[in-house]
Amino acid sequence: MMAEYSYLSPDAKLPYCRGCGHALVVRHLSRALEHLGLPPRSVVLTTDIGCVGLADSLFPYVHTVHTTHGRSTAFATGMALAEPVLKSKGLKPVVLIGDGGAMIGLLHLVHAAQLNVDITVLVHNNFLFGMTGGQHSAFTPLNWVTATTPDGNWTPPLDLLALLRTAHAGFLARQYATDTDLHTVIADAIDFPGFALVEVLELCTAYGTRWNQVTGNSLAEVINRQRYWIGQMEAELERPTFLQLYRHELESRPRSKPEEPEVPPLAAKAQPAEELHLVVAGSAGERVQSAASLFCRAALAAGLYTTQKNDNPVTQGTGFSLAEVCLSPQPIEYTGMESPEVVLAVSQEGWKELEANGTLARCRAETLLILDSELEGSPPAGRVLRFPLRREATPKRAALAGLAAWLTGAFILPSGVWDAGLTSLSGDRRTDAAEAIRIGQQLAERGGARVS
Amino acid sequence: MLAEGALAAGCRFFAGYPITPASEIYEVMIRELPAHNGLALSAPDEISSLCYCVGASLRGLKAMTATSGPGWALMIETVQYAMMTEMPVVIALVQRLGPSTGGATQGAQGDIWLAEFSTSGGYTVPVFSPCNAAECYELVQHAFNWSERLRTPVVVLSDKEVGMTTEVVDAAALVRPPIVERSGITGRGPFAPYAFEKPEEVPAFAAVGGDVKVTVTGSAHDQQGRLRKNAPEVIEVLLHLQRKIDAHAEEMALVRPALDPDAHCLLISYGVTARAARQAVAMLRRDGLPVSFLQIQTLFPIPRRTLDWALAGVETVFVAEENLTGQYRAVLAPHLKGKRVLGINKIGSLISPGEIVHALRGARA
Repeated sequence: MMAEYSYLSPDAKLPYCRGCGHALVVRHLSRALEHLGLPPRSVVLTTDIGCVGLADSLFPYVHTVHTTHGRSTAFATGMALAEPVLKSKGLKPVVLIGDGGAMIGLLHLVHAAQLNVDITVLVHNNFLFGMTGGQHSAFTPLNWVTATTPDGNWTPPLDLLALLRTAHAGFLARQYATDTDLHTVIADAIDFPGFALVEVLELCTAYGTRWNQVTGNSLAEVINRQRYWIGQMEAELERPTFLQLYRHELESRPRSKPEEPEVPPLAAKAQPAEELHLVVAGSAGERVQSAASLFCRAALAAGLYTTQKNDNPVTQGTGFSLAEVCLSPQPIEYTGMESPEVVLAVSQEGWKELEANGTLARCRAETLLILDSELEGSPPAGRVLRFPLRREATPKRAALAGLAAWLTGAFILPSGVWDAGLTSLSGDRRTDAAEAIRIGQQLAERGGARVS
Repeated sequence: MLAEGALAAGCRFFAGYPITPASEIYEVMIRELPAHNGLALSAPDEISSLCYCVGASLRGLKAMTATSGPGWALMIETVQYAMMTEMPVVIALVQRLGPSTGGATQGAQGDIWLAEFSTSGGYTVPVFSPCNAAECYELVQHAFNWSERLRTPVVVLSDKEVGMTTEVVDAAALVRPPIVERSGITGRGPFAPYAFEKPEEVPAFAAVGGDVKVTVTGSAHDQQGRLRKNAPEVIEVLLHLQRKIDAHAEEMALVRPALDPDAHCLLISYGVTARAARQAVAMLRRDGLPVSFLQIQTLFPIPRRTLDWALAGVETVFVAEENLTGQYRAVLAPHLKGKRVLGINKIGSLISPGEIVHALRGARA
């Protein structure tokens, strides 16, 4: 069993170029894992694309997941997020990623830090893309020559630690690959219960040292010029982990959703033998779509099938608000409407939209239009009934009052449907809706509608 | 209803990012999944959403995300990763009008090619296409079942009109297919993460974090999960990725046929347009015109056997779909040799039953 705890065999043939810092990192990682005494199957190395991705085969006992470029952090986060669902004792994902991967996958690092998931990220920062031929990255120092900055890099390098500190990272450290105590920092990072990142500074001997006057000894000068923090950074060590926050969230949440009260079916059934199409138009925030929804529930109580489609401008809280409703004694196939039988318009904005989307042009002589009395305009065809809906019922109740006024005269749904529909509402909304319906019915019974 | 179906299928993990018209699935999962012993969370982009899902799948959880065309475009890299690593995951793709940001609140059936032909190498992505809320509930369960059984990403392709229309559903009539679980490893012998004897076999699954060492890679690999270059073992694994789908194509085929033995004309449709098509067929039959109808629910792999059966005695095939160029018609064309093939296409709004009736009558004249 001892063999299983030797994560990396001391005589392992490492696939890296001579002098590459990656070799030091994997050796220190192995020592860190041994020091922590973690069972190998409780560790998953999640490797990115690039020379860092060669590490998988060097660790024969731990789980390894070789991923796509920059996404290693996100896959590791997914694996860590599964912990509370599996009620697992604790998997330790360790991400091996380069500076190129950290650049393209920066958002994944930011979000993992925000979530404070228990993963450890080892960023192998050698300041360029090694495997693809020495191109510059977001971490290339100023004036460095790379394959893609032949005259020297002029974009200032990112400071990953500073950036992730603002994302509330729990554990942040920056070390040189040549630091002899690197394994203790890595062990601390893995042991940390939350997001931990160690940025390891190293040199690519294939490109970095070939094109730039830099050696292992003079790298510190470059780093000092960039004012990079070295060592463990003061980060948010005391933050609750994702797991703790999630458990707290679950405990404070109601166990199950409050059941919506069922709409009781009525004994009396609806009248229409064929499909009936209705458009309700008004303004955003005036409960147009919720009035249509209540109407659908009422129709459902009377044994009808219904469909409802809503429309509004991209901004939800302003402009028109529209609902298209189909009613049918049979299951509804086509949910569009070639020509509506009934149109209810309760605001000028709604009316304008009916003009704009072609609904009015599709009205026929037998189309019934129920319009608010204040509304200006008349349809090219159809019978018009006007009620003072906004004035008598208030703008927020106008749509529901209009529907109630129509049903009072239309006799297509049995009496009692509104009461059945209202059971789906509770509290003030129910009282308010009942009032809107009462006013609408009264307006219709009063016979005060102006027919034009 | 799609979210409800996912819960019924045993979905335990969901990561999402807001996008109309798929946001409702995301919201329902955030609200409901914890009560079903699962976890749902918000990701910072669609790439992360799917990566998180695949990460959860690596641990053995059934996982899903929901998006629309622009989000799917970002996910394609990870869809391919899931395919290559043989990690089950379900993506609910609720189409909207494209290209680009397009029309967020307008329906369309324009992502057929985008959904299917999104992998380098052209491997088959199973795609199920529901036409209404009840079918969303049913087909997402099939999607999970096949995803788990074949260890491959599966798409449920609906659109704004299916996803955002509120409709009455008969709860008693909802279809609940038996739930399939991923087949795990048996015994404690040597384990190869991508082991198969015949190429159509699906490797047994071992979860990351379990007692057996797991090696996963999205790069070309052999059955042990080792990166290999130009090795015949690697080509074998690649062939296997397609063969395991092909071998189950007929079993995966879901269609709703309404054939008339006297008809020389076959109308094919799917998704929301199948509803108008079914209504059009009823109108034509009322007028005494024989016409056959096939609603295809499993768009990919193409249900070839059913198609051949439906084509018997047929001279003209219509394919009705809400896109400009007849994407599914083009895909079916090689299987419709010797037939007159016509498209009924439109963008910007639903194809109506009247338009389909008009097209079919016009072709008879």
